[in-house]
Amino acid sequence: MFVSDFRKEFYEVVQSQRVLLFVASDVDALCACKILQALFQCDHVQYTLVPVSGWQELETAFLEHKEQFRYFILINCGANVDLLDILQPDEEAVFFVCDTHRPVNVVNVYSDTQIRLLIKQDDDLEVPAYEDIFRDEEEDEEHSGNEGDEGSEPSEKRTRLEEEIAAQTLKRRQRREWEARRRDVLFDYEQYEYHGTSAAMVMFDLAWLMSKDLSDMLWWAIVGLTDQWVQDKITQVKYVTDVGVLQRHVSRHSHRHEDEAHALSVDCARISFEYDSLTRPSLRLALYQHWSLHDSLCNTCYTAARFKLWSLHGQKRLQEFLADVGLPLKQVKQKFQSMDVSLKENLREMIEESANKFGMKDMRVQTFSVHFGFKHKFLASDVVFATMSLMESPEHGSGTDSFTQALDSLSRGNLDKLYHGLELAKRQLRATQQTIASCLCTNLVVSQGPFLYCALMEGTPDVALFSKPASLSLLSRHLLKSFVCSTKNRRCKLLPLVMAAPLSAEQGTVTMVGIPPETDSSDRKNFFGRAFEKAAEGTNSRALHNHFDLSVIELKAEDRSKFLDALVTLLS
Amino acid sequence: MFCEKAMELVRELHRAAEGRLPAFNEDGLRQVLEEMKALYEQNQSDVNEAKSSGRGDLIPTIKFRHCSLLRNQRCTVAYLYDRLLRIRALRWEYGSVLPSALRFHMSAEEYNSECQDSAFLGPESHSGKMDWFNRYKKSLATYMRSLGGDEGLDITQDMKPPKSLYIEVRCLKDYGEFEVEDGTSVLLKKNSQHFLPRWKCEQLIRQGILEHVLS
Repeated sequence: MFVSDFRKEFYEVVQSQRVLLFVASDVDALCACKILQALFQCDHVQYTLVPVSGWQELETAFLEHKEQFRYFILINCGANVDLLDILQPDEEAVFFVCDTHRPVNVVNVYSDTQIRLLIKQDDDLEVPAYEDIFRDEEEDEEHSGNEGDEGSEPSEKRTRLEEEIAAQTLKRRQRREWEARRRDVLFDYEQYEYHGTSAAMVMFDLAWLMSKDLSDMLWWAIVGLTDQWVQDKITQVKYVTDVGVLQRHVSRHSHRHEDEAHALSVDCARISFEYDSLTRPSLRLALYQHWSLHDSLCNTCYTAARFKLWSLHGQKRLQEFLADVGLPLKQVKQKFQSMDVSLKENLREMIEESANKFGMKDMRVQTFSVHFGFKHKFLASDVVFATMSLMESPEHGSGTDSFTQALDSLSRGNLDKLYHGLELAKRQLRATQQTIASCLCTNLVVSQGPFLYCALMEGTPDVALFSKPASLSLLSRHLLKSFVCSTKNRRCKLLPLVMAAPLSAEQGTVTMVGIPPETDSSDRKNFFGRAFEKAAEGTNSRALHNHFDLSVIELKAEDRSKFLDALVTLLS
Repeated sequence: MFCEKAMELVRELHRAAEGRLPAFNEDGLRQVLEEMKALYEQNQSDVNEAKSSGRGDLIPTIKFRHCSLLRNQRCTVAYLYDRLLRIRALRWEYGSVLPSALRFHMSAEEYNSECQDSAFLGPESHSGKMDWFNRYKKSLATYMRSLGGDEGLDITQDMKPPKSLYIEVRCLKDYGEFEVEDGTSVLLKKNSQHFLPRWKCEQLIRQGILEHVLS
């Protein structure tokens, strides 16, 4: 069921209890978790935090911990499947689910007591009505009982028997129609996967409702929203709306700056909204303030795709662009911090003008930045890239180690971890662009009919960086965008992409990811989740739907070809 | 050379890291005492001889032996006192029940806890280490009971005034179940984070199983 009053029905219920938090492994979940932890620490709520990266981990962790807790909070996991079926909890266990995955499973919506969804109902949910899905089973049982009682007196009862048989066939037919309609309704509802409001924003809303919000929490909410935007999980319209909501909070938190007498100390975090200011440009270039401008232009998907930087012609266009803007090459190739101040001042306008000429109309982006101390300034997207790289870097042993590193890096006291994350992010972005360049130059992206397909080979450099779902999804999206810019075939521009990357050499598995087609006004709805499921069932492939995003699966390498054939037939 | 055994004792303790209690070197101590006894007897006979026969040339030897005796005494006293200080630190570190490994490092296992003497006894009772520990324990307990009204106050809990009742800890190794005050238990698995009452976690933090997360 949906929780209507977050404060009374959620927070006050868990305030006096011990709770177990299951947190999924993505940046939005991390941010929501930090906000919730801050609230719990303020109110001395005893909690235990368990990071989970997939369904299997969730199940094992639940089995281990279920004796000790009654209240469970799931962040960014669990809304899109039948939780009661998968976890088999006791009668008294209560689950609070704050998840961005949609569509929400109907059992979760209509379960009265055990599953409580921390989701706002004005999020476009379109849940089918109760009568369409569930139906009392009692009527049918009565009739089958009555049938058995019959048979003692044949003559008089015969007419009644005939009537009853007629009634029963009518009921059976109605029932079959109802079931067919139910299948259709469920199919329509569950066909496309998409994402709702960021979990971090939901948690921040709760904090604001209780007047316990801090600027740290606001920053985490901003990072959570930006993560959704960076990973293309929400539409542009939704992003702009949510940015508006957060901007109101930012202006509320920072109104003290205007009054010089009560200015905040330098060490406090100051969040600012970057869009219109002249001195602080907010360009769509990844990590450009921590890198050189040239590196940033080469490694941001948007610019790299538009310039077609994998070809020699593209490189020349980049030089032309820089000449047009008026930035000398020597300046552009050194660190952004050490560029000439006179160049940095009008950077945004100059770049935007030239970008328009070269076909890039969306260089400006609405985002937020945070300052603390004299030196440290980060844009929200910088933090997102850094945290994502920390979480998915192969250098830390197990998944939970990287989770704790990433969680730590979000605290303001651990800036060294954040900087380390930024270095990893640079490496990741560079590797992404190089892989894309090699894929496009060697024509690895092949059209299979209803979709495009690309497989990364085992020996590709840096392939270890792409075995985790978020990095692979990011690579695939960028690859699709670059491919759309590079190909002349008009039909291919509208096709979705399926990408495969080797996961584990010993077990012979690959990770497969499905990306919806790239259009300007796409609603980011992904049908690959269901498609993968059906294809795997149909061919008996050994596929593991381990990730919370249903469009990412692990597959045995030998089953790959028959799986793809099944997928082709399914989608055409 | 004289006093070498005594120096060895002192060096042994000096080498041991801060807080560790090496095994009680009963053998070494006995040798030092025997040396002292031998020196003392020699001195006695020499003094008698010097007094009776007026031999003044024995005086430097006597003086020398006396100095070595004093030196031996200082070394043994330093050894025993340092051990006592370390045992006292153990009570604050480990609580009132010591791990058995540490107990074997102490001398004599007499649990003579009837006596209620003051906390620090003279070094002569070197054979009653355990005895001393028990008496120190009792003394500390009596003191703690006398503070803070009816229930007493456990002053070994927090070395510094705590900033908060609950702290955030992260589990570094798999530990298993850990009981919390109201009877329920928490499962400590690697990399799980918990928010628990401070006093419950201190022991585990010292043992390195939990890590305090500062944010």
